[in-house]
Amino acid sequence: MKQQPFDVFQVVADPSRREILRLLSKDSLTINSLAEHFDMSRPAVSKHIKILHGAGFISIQDIGRERHCLLKQEGFEKLQEWINYFDHFWQSRLGKLKSLLDNKIKN
Amino acid sequence: MADRIKHQLFFPHPPEQVWEYLTRADLMQLWLMPNDFKPTIGHEFQFKTKPMPQLDFDGIVYCKVLEIAPHHTLSYSWKSGPGNGKIELDSIVTWKLVPKDNGTELLLEHGAFKGFDHLGMFSALDGGWFKNMHKIAELLNVANRETTTL
Repeated sequence: MKQQPFDVFQVVADPSRREILRLLSKDSLTINSLAEHFDMSRPAVSKHIKILHGAGFISIQDIGRERHCLLKQEGFEKLQEWINYFDHFWQSRLGKLKSLLDNKIKN
Repeated sequence: MADRIKHQLFFPHPPEQVWEYLTRADLMQLWLMPNDFKPTIGHEFQFKTKPMPQLDFDGIVYCKVLEIAPHHTLSYSWKSGPGNGKIELDSIVTWKLVPKDNGTELLLEHGAFKGFDHLGMFSALDGGWFKNMHKIAELLNVANRETTTL
């Protein structure tokens, strides 16, 4: 599945999805037990789970008759990749700024 | 997990001089990107660069001046997306200048990434993953045992 790096921010921008991640950070849960934490319908919860799954934040395992959700590192690594991208971006731009200003002194 | 970028750089120049390079569109262009910045609160401007479709980035950074205190602080929003005005990355860039005896300390913070704001939990996740992996392994074992005994 093709991942769009920027999408990970969209994915975690939603409060319900953050809540799902928060709940899963404590324990893996079935879709049914996750749904119990929310006022919204089960299909609505399933939709959020599908989005989190698609972005690599959670994995879903069928165990017996139940579907279990657990956190997956991939999605979080993408967020970290973006932080790293900007880190390098600013580092190189600041280097440019530094040499511009240094040249100013010399001239 | 870090949720913001921070850089600190010393310049042997007075704050007024460094400030010019942060707030004059023609000088900003020399080291950052072409832009239509104006040092006025609420001014909306754009940085333009090469699109990076693989990153879902159309090459335009949409910004708005949020805070400006001449020679001290500058902050603007920093948003981007794949095009058609769709914003997928929403963050804030803040510059601070600290005058020193022989120059200026420049501090950059790029953070407030939307989606990160309530994710202080990220740092606590490492242990969580392991625990969950462990638990799922247990569950799978139980499930397997049940299947084999059926």
